[in-house]
Amino acid sequence: MECFHCLQPVPKGVNLSVEYKGSDRPVCCAGCQAVAQTIIQHRLHAYYEHRDPTQLQESPVLPDELNDLALYDHPDLQKDFVRHESDDTEIATLTVENITCGACGWLIERELMRLKGIQKAVVNVTSRRLQVTWSPGELKLSEILRALAGIGYKALPFQPNEAEQQYTRQRKNYIRRLGVAGIATMQVMMVAFGLYFGAVSDLSPDLQRFLWGVSLVFATPVILYSAQPFYAGALRALQASRLNMDIPVSIALLGAYSASVYATITNTGEVYFESISMFTFFLLTGRFLELLAKERALKFATNRLTLLPKLATRETENGSESIAIRQLNVGDIIRVKAGETIPADGSLLSSQAQVDESLLTGESLPRSKKPGDAVIAGSINQHSPIRIEVTATAQQTVLAGIVSMQDSALAVKPKAQQVIDKIAGYFIAALLIIAVITYFCWWWIQPEHALWVTLAVLVATCPCALSLAAPTALTGIIHRLNRDGILLKGADVLESVKELDKVCLDKTGTLTEGKFRLVERDDVIDSETVNDLVSGLESFSEHPLSVPLSQLSESPAQFQNVENEIGLGLQGEFNDRQYRVGSETYIQQWHPEFKALNKHQVIIASRERVLAQFRVEDQLREDALVTINWLKEKGYQPIILSGDSQSRVESLAQELGISEYHGALKPEQKLAFVTEQQDTGNTVWMIGDGINDSPVLAKANLSMTFSQASDLAQTAADVVLLSEPLSQVKTVIESALKTRRIMQQNFVWALVYNVSILPVAAMGMIAPWAAALGMSLSSLLVIGNSLRLYRK
Amino acid sequence: MNPITQSADLITALLMGLAGAGHCLMMCGGIASAMGINTRPHHVWLYNLGRVSSYMLIGALVGGAIGLFAPEGGYTTVVLRWLAVLFLLLLGLYFTGWFAGLVYLEKAARPVWNKIQPLAAKLRNKPNGFAAFLAGTLWGWLPCGMVYSALSWAALSGSAGNGALTMAAFGLGTLPAMIAAGHFSQFLHRFLQAQGVRTAMGILLIIYALWSMLTLIKPFFQ
Repeated sequence: MECFHCLQPVPKGVNLSVEYKGSDRPVCCAGCQAVAQTIIQHRLHAYYEHRDPTQLQESPVLPDELNDLALYDHPDLQKDFVRHESDDTEIATLTVENITCGACGWLIERELMRLKGIQKAVVNVTSRRLQVTWSPGELKLSEILRALAGIGYKALPFQPNEAEQQYTRQRKNYIRRLGVAGIATMQVMMVAFGLYFGAVSDLSPDLQRFLWGVSLVFATPVILYSAQPFYAGALRALQASRLNMDIPVSIALLGAYSASVYATITNTGEVYFESISMFTFFLLTGRFLELLAKERALKFATNRLTLLPKLATRETENGSESIAIRQLNVGDIIRVKAGETIPADGSLLSSQAQVDESLLTGESLPRSKKPGDAVIAGSINQHSPIRIEVTATAQQTVLAGIVSMQDSALAVKPKAQQVIDKIAGYFIAALLIIAVITYFCWWWIQPEHALWVTLAVLVATCPCALSLAAPTALTGIIHRLNRDGILLKGADVLESVKELDKVCLDKTGTLTEGKFRLVERDDVIDSETVNDLVSGLESFSEHPLSVPLSQLSESPAQFQNVENEIGLGLQGEFNDRQYRVGSETYIQQWHPEFKALNKHQVIIASRERVLAQFRVEDQLREDALVTINWLKEKGYQPIILSGDSQSRVESLAQELGISEYHGALKPEQKLAFVTEQQDTGNTVWMIGDGINDSPVLAKANLSMTFSQASDLAQTAADVVLLSEPLSQVKTVIESALKTRRIMQQNFVWALVYNVSILPVAAMGMIAPWAAALGMSLSSLLVIGNSLRLYRK
Repeated sequence: MNPITQSADLITALLMGLAGAGHCLMMCGGIASAMGINTRPHHVWLYNLGRVSSYMLIGALVGGAIGLFAPEGGYTTVVLRWLAVLFLLLLGLYFTGWFAGLVYLEKAARPVWNKIQPLAAKLRNKPNGFAAFLAGTLWGWLPCGMVYSALSWAALSGSAGNGALTMAAFGLGTLPAMIAAGHFSQFLHRFLQAQGVRTAMGILLIIYALWSMLTLIKPFFQ
C-alpha cells in the first residue's frame, strides 16, 4: 500500500487516511495527512489529478535520449519488433543493458508490473532480454522504456547487432576494470610481501608507514573503480529487497578499505590493501570469463538471425518496384523469383508453385501449392517465379509467431541461478547477523579489537570461494566443450543432467543427415536398362527424392516431351515409347491394379508394364546407432518426435531400436508432448534442428541443435553442436556430470571452509593477513579444482 | 562532549535524514507543486533552504533550552541519551515497517501545526523567491516523526549552536535527490523509495541504536 501523498510504502500498523473525492485514501504519517488535507481544503485537487508520480516536482529536463524514446511509439517503426496479438495485447522483445545478476531481473519485473496496462514482463538474465506484454490502449511503449530508464536500465527493441554491441561495450568495460585491478594488485602484493616479512623481522615504523601509504595509493582505484560492478549489484539487490553475494562483498571491501585507510592515517592497527585488491581481481576475473563465454555463444546464435530478405518486389501499375519488406502492406501483390525466400505470408496467385517450407515445418520434401493456397514467410520458392497477394507482414507472420512462442517458452524455463541465489541469500543473512554479533561481543570485552575482528570475520568468511564455485566450473565446461566444437549457452545443462530421463530427437537432420539415398529396389526388367531410363527421366526433376535416382546411370536415356506433374511425377518419350516415373498414384493412372511394395515410393513404368520400384531414404547419421545405444545403456530413454510421416518414422525407429516414436507432429504438438512429459515429472532433453523445433527446444529442460540448423533453433537451444557427429551428445552429458561433481566439491569446500573459519575468526584468533590469505587460498583451491575441467 | 562522539552524532542525524530522503522529496515536492511555488528550480531550493532553516531553529531552541535549564551532567545526559537512542530505534523500526510507534508522536504534535497551517496556506502562488523561502520555513513545522527523532539528538548536543548543527546535518540528509540533477535524481529517487533500501537503512539505524544501548549499559558492569 502506498501513501496517497508521498507515494512511499505505508508502514504496517499505521491507520491514517484523508478524504479525497468521497473516499478515504491511506497516508503514511501525520505529516502527509496534514499536507494532503491542506491541499484538498484549498481546492487544489488538480495536483493529485495531474501529477506524474514518475516525475519529480522540479520536472527535470529529460535527457534527449529519453525524449527520443517517443519515436518508438510510431506504428511504422513498431512494425519491425512489436507483435500485435489482439486489439488489447501487444508483445515486444527488448534488449536490456546493464543486467548483471538475478537481482536486476527481479527489479525490472517488479517495477514494470507496477505500470498500469502491463500484462506480463519476463526477464531472461542470461540473454539480457525482456519480453513485455501490454495493452496499447492504456500504455505506450515509450512509457515502458522510460520506466526502465527510471530505474537505471536502457532498453531497446531486440536487434541482433544491438545485442552484440552491448556485449562488446561491456567487455571493454570489464577489461579496463580488470587491467586496473591486475596492475594495482601486483604492486600491492609486492609491497605486502615486504610487510609480511617485516612482520617477522623488524621493519622500521617509518618504512612500514610509507609502504602502507603506497598500498593505499594503489588500492584506491581498485576499490573506487574496478569494484564498481559489485556495489551496483549490491544496491540493485537492496532495491529489489533481496540479499546477494555482492552485499557482503561490498561491505567487506568498503569496510576493510575504510578501516585500512583509517589505520594508515592514524598509523595503528593493520591494513588489508593487498587482500581487497586481490579479492577484487579474482572476482572480476570470474565474471569476465563468464561474460566472454556468454558473448561467444550469443554472437554465434544471433549472427545469422536474419531469416527474411530485406527487400521485396512489389507490383505497381506500370511494372514493379523494389521496396523494404517493412513497407509491405496487406493486399500488396509481390513477385518472388525461383530460389528466393518468400518475404511475407500470402496467398498464391500463380497457377502452381513448389515451396520448401522445411525451415518452418521440418518437412523434407517441397510442397506443391495451388492458386489461393497459403504461402509462408521464410519458405523458399523452388521453381518458377510466382506472384503472391500479401496477407500478413513482419511481426504478424507465422514465422514471427514461432519466434514469439519460443521466447515465451524461454521465459518460463526454470532458472538455475535463482536456486543458488536463494541458498546464498540465507548464508549471507546468517553471515551478516554473525558479523554484527561478533562486533557487539568484542566491543563489550575488548572494544579496541572489535572492528578488526569483525572485518576479519567478513574477509575470512567472505563468500568469495562460494561465489566462485559455480562460475569457475561453468567457465571450465564452456571452454572445454568449445574446444570440442560444442557451444554451451547457459548453466541449465548442469541442473538438468542430474535428473535427465528422456531424450527426444527430431528425425530429419538430427538422426538422419537430411540427404536422400537409394536403399532398396525391385526390378522387373534388367537393372541396367532401368538405370538408364530412370536417370534420364529424373534428371528433369528437381525434387530431392530424385537426386540419388538421377545419378544411377552414366549414360542416361535422352527423353523428349517431358512433362512435370507437380506432386505426382514425370512423363517423357524415349524411342517413341512413353514412360512415367513417380508416385504410386501416378503409376496407377496407367496400371490401376498396381500396388507398390512396402515403403517403395518411386516407381518407373511404361504404358505396358511396371519396370521397377525404388525406396529412397534419408541417410542415417553414421553414429546414430552408437549414440542411441549409449543413451539406452546409461538409462536415458530415446524418443523420436518428428514432423515426418508416421510410417517413415516407424521404420527408422525399428532400425535404431527405439521403442517410443511419434510422427506427423506439428510444432505445437511437439511442444505439448514435452510439456506433458515435464508435467508428469520427467526431465526432458530435446535435440532438433528445424525452425519447427525451436518452440520445443526452448521448452525442454535442455536442448541441443546443430550449427547447420536454422538460426532460430540455434537461438532457442542451450547447446549448439558445431561439429557434425551426433555422438557429441555423449560428450555433453559426460562433461556436464563431471562439472556437476566439481561444482559440488567446490560448494562443499567453500561451505566447510567458511563455516569452520567463522568461529575461529569470530574469536579473534586469526591475524588480518592470515584471514586474507585463507580467503585467497580457499578461492585458489576452488579455481584450481575447476581448472581440472579444462583437461581432457 | 568529545569531538568523536559529536561527529558520530552528526553522522547519525545525517543517516536519519538520508533514510527518509525519498519520503521528504515527494512530500515537499507535493507541497511545492500544489502551492504553485515550483515555477523556477531555484525556488524549490529556497523552499528547502527554508525548511532546513526551520529545523535548525527548532534544533537551536531545543539544544539551547537543554543547555540553559537542565542540570549539568549526571542524570540529564544519561536520560537524554536513552531518549535519543529510543527515538533512533523507533525510527529504524518505522523504516523497516516492523513497528510504527512514531506515528502516535506525530499525532500528538498536530495542534501546533494547526496554528501554523493557515499561515503556510496563505503563501500560495507567490512567484518570488522570498515567498518560497518563507513557505519552506512554515512547512518545516509539519508534524514529522523523523524531525522529532533527530531533535532528540539535537537535545543531546547541549547547546543552541550544536543543536542547530545537528539539525542541519539531518536536513542535509533529506536533500540528496535534490542535489543530484535531472535524470539521475529520478533514478536516485526510485532507489530511495524502494522498500528494500528503506529496510536496509532501518536495520542500520536499529543496529546503531542497539550498539548505543550497549554503550549506555556497559558502565554498570564495570
